[in-house]
Amino acid sequence: MTSSTSYTSKAILVLIAGLVFLSGCSATRKEVTESPSTLPHTIFKKSLYDLPIAVLPVENLSGNTAPLKNIRKTLIESLKARRFKVLEEELLEEFMARHRLRYIGGIDGTTAKAFREETGAGSVLITSLELYDDSTQPKIALISRLVSLNASPVILWMDSVGLAGDDAPGFLDLGLIENPVVLRNKALRSLSVSLAGSLSEKGDRDSAEEKRKKFRPKIAFRSPAFVPEARHTVAVIPFFNESLRKYAGEIMQLHMVQEMAKVENIKVIEPGVVRKELLAFRIIMEDGISLAQADIAWEALNADLLLTGKVMDYQDYQGADGAPVVDFSLLVMERKGREVGWASKSYNKGTDGVWFFDMGRGRTASAMASEMARIVRGMMWK
Amino acid sequence: MTGEDAVTTKNILAVLLLLCVGACAGSVKFRDPNMDFGSIQKVAVLPFTNLTRDEKASDRVRDVYMNMLMATGGLYLLPPGEVARGISRAQLADRTAPSEEEIKRLGGVLGVDAVMTGVVKEYGEVRSGSVSSNLVSLSLQMFEVKTGKVVWSASSTKGGVSTMDRLFGGGGKPMNIVTEEAVIDLINKLYK
Repeated sequence: MTSSTSYTSKAILVLIAGLVFLSGCSATRKEVTESPSTLPHTIFKKSLYDLPIAVLPVENLSGNTAPLKNIRKTLIESLKARRFKVLEEELLEEFMARHRLRYIGGIDGTTAKAFREETGAGSVLITSLELYDDSTQPKIALISRLVSLNASPVILWMDSVGLAGDDAPGFLDLGLIENPVVLRNKALRSLSVSLAGSLSEKGDRDSAEEKRKKFRPKIAFRSPAFVPEARHTVAVIPFFNESLRKYAGEIMQLHMVQEMAKVENIKVIEPGVVRKELLAFRIIMEDGISLAQADIAWEALNADLLLTGKVMDYQDYQGADGAPVVDFSLLVMERKGREVGWASKSYNKGTDGVWFFDMGRGRTASAMASEMARIVRGMMWK
Repeated sequence: MTGEDAVTTKNILAVLLLLCVGACAGSVKFRDPNMDFGSIQKVAVLPFTNLTRDEKASDRVRDVYMNMLMATGGLYLLPPGEVARGISRAQLADRTAPSEEEIKRLGGVLGVDAVMTGVVKEYGEVRSGSVSSNLVSLSLQMFEVKTGKVVWSASSTKGGVSTMDRLFGGGGKPMNIVTEEAVIDLINKLYK
């Protein structure tokens, strides 16, 4: 073989390899843009800066008194600073009074449609306060989500934040935050930055599994019949609360919704819609959901997976010393086959895996629960 | 052999027998030799009886047990909500300790092959002098639905103050780890 022939064959090979690579890229891009779960998000997100966001009053799941009005006010200011249009206060109040809207932890299809038609808002921001401690070592935890206002509401964005004043004390405790207002503003800023960031090209959908072993479920079961690759519509039901913490079941539900909303091939039903249907069919769970109740829920919500569980412990601590504890088990029930598709048990303490100078110590149950939920989600949809 | 030698030999044998009995006591287990355990595929685990001071002990142990047994892949367990519905439909007088007739009735309602009950006897911290440690003690029973009879029963105790704890101190293992050890021990006894 002459050198020219060798050069030509090499060039052809490189060309073919390049074409194969390019076709692979285009196929991937096509798959992403045509994915039915991302398409509505793109349309909605484009209109987010044009249509006003209705910021609902903050739902208090902390079990304590908290300055909810101030939190909401700061959140609105933070959104406005990032060029978001916020629905006028009078319009929101009038709508809430007209429709006797008392539940502020979610929104159902009928209310969402009326909201859009009567106020002209494009989406609603639902925020839940999970923890508020304004002692000298303040702590705050919030979960927030943006939901589209139409007959079948879609979760457009969801994020949570759990901060403690001593998260990063730094050299000579210079980084210590002792003022609860400063910590509160930091948490709210973090949420609005996350919302604004989700509208950037990078997107907020994340399918990567964190490799933090300590937050992995200690026991896990996956049914051979459970196919995570298939498209699923998931309804996350409030967890059965066995802990001493009030609203721990609702809090864990929100953490799981947040994680499920990140998976590409699943559609998560807005918790407000789930709540409305459970109330409509008077589904009261005694020790978790029964198969008869699951049948009703699957039918009413048009879901094919029900995600529920049990919270055994959900503890935060007051002051500087202590460790949060989170202990929950998770159950995924499949409509097809009416069987358990996934079951796992996760438990962690804030001091798990901490050996030197409090490095890696968990300070809020919210941050830990969020991480644990992320790992379970990663394992389920591996 | 003199009479004195014979007495010494008898004493040694008695001590050995006692040691054997003592060793057996650590692994209390009953397994019906006539039962075909391979035919059991679907099981309902009833709420456990709680004999401890911790109100939630039985729920905690049951939660770990159900998840772990399910994770073995050998048996399918009904979700706890479905079991609760079955209990209420079968109208059990005592949801933790059903009678033979109630087992049969419950089995019919739930469509399971076997029903499991349990008793949590110890759950929490035990002290020995200045040293403390976590301890779990539980026993489980499996009833065949067709006959309502006990086909398997076992108990396990894990944790407690060890010699190492006495020598070097330390609070022992966390409660969840001790519970898992006891549950693994019982699952091993079920399959072996």
